Amino acid sequence: MPGADKETDLTERIEAFLADLKRGGSGTGPLRGSGEMARETTYLLRRITAQARWSSAGDLMEIIRNEGRRMTAAQPSETTVGNMVRRVLKIIREEYARSRGSSEETEQQESLHKLLTAGELSEENFRQHFVHLKANVIEAINELLTELDGTTDNIAMQALEHIHSNEVIMTVGRSRTVEAFLKDAARKRKFHVIVAECAPFCQGHEMATGLSKVGIETTVIADAAIFAVMSRVNKVIIGTQTVLANGGLRAVNGTHSVALAARHHSTPLIICAPMFKLSPQFPNEEDTFHKFVSPHEVLPFTAGSTLIENLFQCFILLRLFTKVSVTPEVINALSV
Amino acid sequence: MSSRGGKQKKGNVTSEQEEEEQPLQAVLVADSFNRRFFPISKDQPRALLPLGNVAMIDYTLEFLTSTGVQETFVFCCWMSNKIKDHLLKSKWCRPTSPNVVHIITSDLYRSLGDVLRDVDAKNLVRNDFILVYGDVVSNIDVSQALQEHRHRRKVDKNISVMTMVFKESSPGHKTRCEEDDVIVAMDSKSKRVLHYQKTQGLKKLQFPMNIFQHGSDEFEIRHDLLDCHISICSPQVAELFTDNFDYQTRNDFVRGILVNEEILGNQIHLYVTQDGYGARVSNLQMYDSVSLDMVRRWVYPLTPEANFTDQQGQGCTHSRHNVYRGAEVSLGHGSQMEENVLIGRDTSIGANCHISNSVIGNNCTIGDNVVLDRAHMWNNVHVSSNVEIHQSVVCDGAVVKEAVRLNKQCVLAYNVVIGPNLSLPEGTVVSMHHPEEEEEDDDDEFLSDDQEVGHSKDKTRQKAFNPAEVGPEGKGYIWKASMNDTEDEELAQCLWGLVLNPDPESDSESEASEESQDRSRSVSPEIDDVNAFQLEVLGTLQRGLEENIVCDNLVLEINSLKYAYNITLKEVMQILTRVVLEYPFQQQGTQLTTLQYTGSLLPLLKTWSPVFKNYIKRAQDHLDCLSAVEELFLEQDTHQTAMVKVLMKMYQLEILEEEAILKWFSTGATNDKSRQLRKNQGVRLGQICVWGKPSQNVKGYQFGHCGSLILLLQKETTLLIFSDGVQRKQTPCSQCHKKESCGMV
Repeated sequence: MPGADKETDLTERIEAFLADLKRGGSGTGPLRGSGEMARETTYLLRRITAQARWSSAGDLMEIIRNEGRRMTAAQPSETTVGNMVRRVLKIIREEYARSRGSSEETEQQESLHKLLTAGELSEENFRQHFVHLKANVIEAINELLTELDGTTDNIAMQALEHIHSNEVIMTVGRSRTVEAFLKDAARKRKFHVIVAECAPFCQGHEMATGLSKVGIETTVIADAAIFAVMSRVNKVIIGTQTVLANGGLRAVNGTHSVALAARHHSTPLIICAPMFKLSPQFPNEEDTFHKFVSPHEVLPFTAGSTLIENLFQCFILLRLFTKVSVTPEVINALSV
Repeated sequence: MSSRGGKQKKGNVTSEQEEEEQPLQAVLVADSFNRRFFPISKDQPRALLPLGNVAMIDYTLEFLTSTGVQETFVFCCWMSNKIKDHLLKSKWCRPTSPNVVHIITSDLYRSLGDVLRDVDAKNLVRNDFILVYGDVVSNIDVSQALQEHRHRRKVDKNISVMTMVFKESSPGHKTRCEEDDVIVAMDSKSKRVLHYQKTQGLKKLQFPMNIFQHGSDEFEIRHDLLDCHISICSPQVAELFTDNFDYQTRNDFVRGILVNEEILGNQIHLYVTQDGYGARVSNLQMYDSVSLDMVRRWVYPLTPEANFTDQQGQGCTHSRHNVYRGAEVSLGHGSQMEENVLIGRDTSIGANCHISNSVIGNNCTIGDNVVLDRAHMWNNVHVSSNVEIHQSVVCDGAVVKEAVRLNKQCVLAYNVVIGPNLSLPEGTVVSMHHPEEEEEDDDDEFLSDDQEVGHSKDKTRQKAFNPAEVGPEGKGYIWKASMNDTEDEELAQCLWGLVLNPDPESDSESEASEESQDRSRSVSPEIDDVNAFQLEVLGTLQRGLEENIVCDNLVLEINSLKYAYNITLKEVMQILTRVVLEYPFQQQGTQLTTLQYTGSLLPLLKTWSPVFKNYIKRAQDHLDCLSAVEELFLEQDTHQTAMVKVLMKMYQLEILEEEAILKWFSTGATNDKSRQLRKNQGVRLGQICVWGKPSQNVKGYQFGHCGSLILLLQKETTLLIFSDGVQRKQTPCSQCHKKESCGMV
């Protein structure tokens, strides 16, 4: 039966995606950016929309909600997945509303009133069956995908507004968005970039080689030198993993010190983050905001013998991402 | 494009030919074939024991799946039903699992060899496969090793049969299993294994010369390797196991391949990884360290909070200092979780507890003022107040009552009750099974009626819990650590590995035997061969004595053994001498007095003199035999006085000739000790000569200047025995004559 075949194929894909998420997510293992993660999630959601069995928008939303919950649970540090699930759910709602004939505006106009008067009609509303709903939703998701593909370029286009000639710019680690941003500016302007290496993974080295290849004057510094160098810096431009609901960041280890140093020296701090990194979460669940990996990078297994364990009882926790508790006041500009 | 798509594309390009036709297979042996975990593994097979609240086999399967294995054969023997049930319930047997798990059970498997022979008989593997045990915990990416292996096989036409995966780690690392410590000689370029030997605490190691005479010009001898017990095997491995029905373990196999390398042309290679983690839980010591490593996130991404088994309610949160908490955990007022703590769901902990480096299972209750350090508690454990537990394992359903103290390396097996007010000494093992019943249902554990017999006995014994051992309300029997009286297996059987002090006797013996080889040969075959030969000779002689076998037949047997182990004639003789002289010790223990020793040895010498005569013919043989005797008595300091009697007996039985004895005596001693020995025995040696020739009576003896022994005979003459064994009457050496200091009387 082809239908059953399709379904097992779909579940297999979902399982594989979940297993992939569990085995690392972005940043470790197969080094992937959250942009790719977002695209992959959307592809999978499109596939679910196309192949799963549903007759009404309510069914589809239920399916996607369930799968989305599993995906976010598999790797809580990967907020993009949750964001994309929410985006797709919104798309479905919109498309449903459009199919019913009510335009977005009317819906919104009514909504305040509705909220006050009626209790729980939203669920009921999605039960209606529309023939073209599936095609419409897939079409909308495709639009979303093209939008995702263009995000980095869109941000890079704004580069010239922020970077001026002969400026000294600091960045931390490696962010694809920032890399594209700087490269774009380098086509017209001449400036100097200082890259904090971001130990122990030292993604900063990669960033520096990438930048120097296109002819940008680049200096790599140790993380400890960030504060010392900050006085010479005109602007700090960094990427982030997530922008939290209170305006805080969840970014790579070391970002916090950069942010604090920038505040001390009153240096503007610019964050390059595409839409899908804006998360509705608040930084109140301490645990889920860090991502801890193996201590291997800091302390080789060979050295982790009795000597070290006994002498220092040292604690090796490797955080891939830390929450930056500095909230909006530090961030001067947010390129979205 | 998404990276997923990209990855698949890349995979297709690089290994289109191999990968597409056949999925990667793995053989997982879910049985240890030994009883290291014994009182625990009586109730639960080792592969299902929880490590960080997840069964060990799940780690192995996750490892295999993440390396891209698509088909796994799980072989179970002991308690196969439990393993099967577990697997059928797990995510591995869901239809969506990327790794298809086949479970094969049989009660007939007794070793790894049996399993692989069955793999061959059933024709299960079609291509290279990964061989692991069900208790391996690893996150190593084997694909690199696999690629190297395939490449070698393509280039060298199936010469390479196996690639073993090792991890670099310094000697003495906590996660290194001391029993598995190996020393490996390998070709640096081709990574081919040239020599493989377990060190087992040996201080001296031997490498055959021929391994360095192969073409390559770079070798590595490494001791900084941790055996991950992961091997990539060609299908030939299974065939080779079938061909050689005496291969039982991977060790046998590796050694067999290396010895027969020239004949069969098979090679073994090594893959050494620096990152990644891989270790086998082969005893409780390893259990302890692997469990801690896991909590310390060395095995990332296989961490407790990842919940990779996809079980409901298994998830937990991770917070600072590696503290993991499951759902519904309650922690009392003032309790501290210091570091590296994993607590399963629905566990409640009382007030003012102090917990560090511990794993606590699901549904446990822990009272107030409890101190836990390196404690491994499984599910449903009840611990009352004021308890202290240090580096111990507490299995499912155990109850620890008030004010109990478990010192290091204690084990409380399933459902044991301990206390109150008791302190268990270090290394105590308590189980609900009586130690003796183990032997009874040893072989027939699968017969149901036997089980019943065991149960009824259990009931009758139920009253016989010793309150002094397990406390007034305790339930359980103490298992003595030294319960197993099999002499050489003692180490291999204890739960915690080598920590129980190793037998110094065996240590020195093996060292000494090596020393003897050291002196006698430049190129030696495997040391183990020599040891094995020695054991065989001992067995032969023992049997000969018991069954009264004619000496000629003994000679015949020893000769055939000589060929079987490829031992030189010289070694045969030395080993024979050693075995015979040690025989009384073997039979009656080492605490014999000299008198008892000679008393039992001399008749033996007489019985076996034809055997000796067969091997000791040329003058050189005599000397070799004597040096063997000397070595033995150098070791047995207390029995040195017996030496002269032995020599005399041998002389009288015409095993040794007078000239040879004298020559041996006067040749330069190699070290101080042997010189001392000769001095002490000198006078007695003089007597030998005299006993030999009653006509010449000796009044006294002297050592000549030139190292000769000067015997003063009765009739005012002297007999000089020179270092070349030549005897001359009357004329002492010219130098001795001149110098008064020479001390001639």
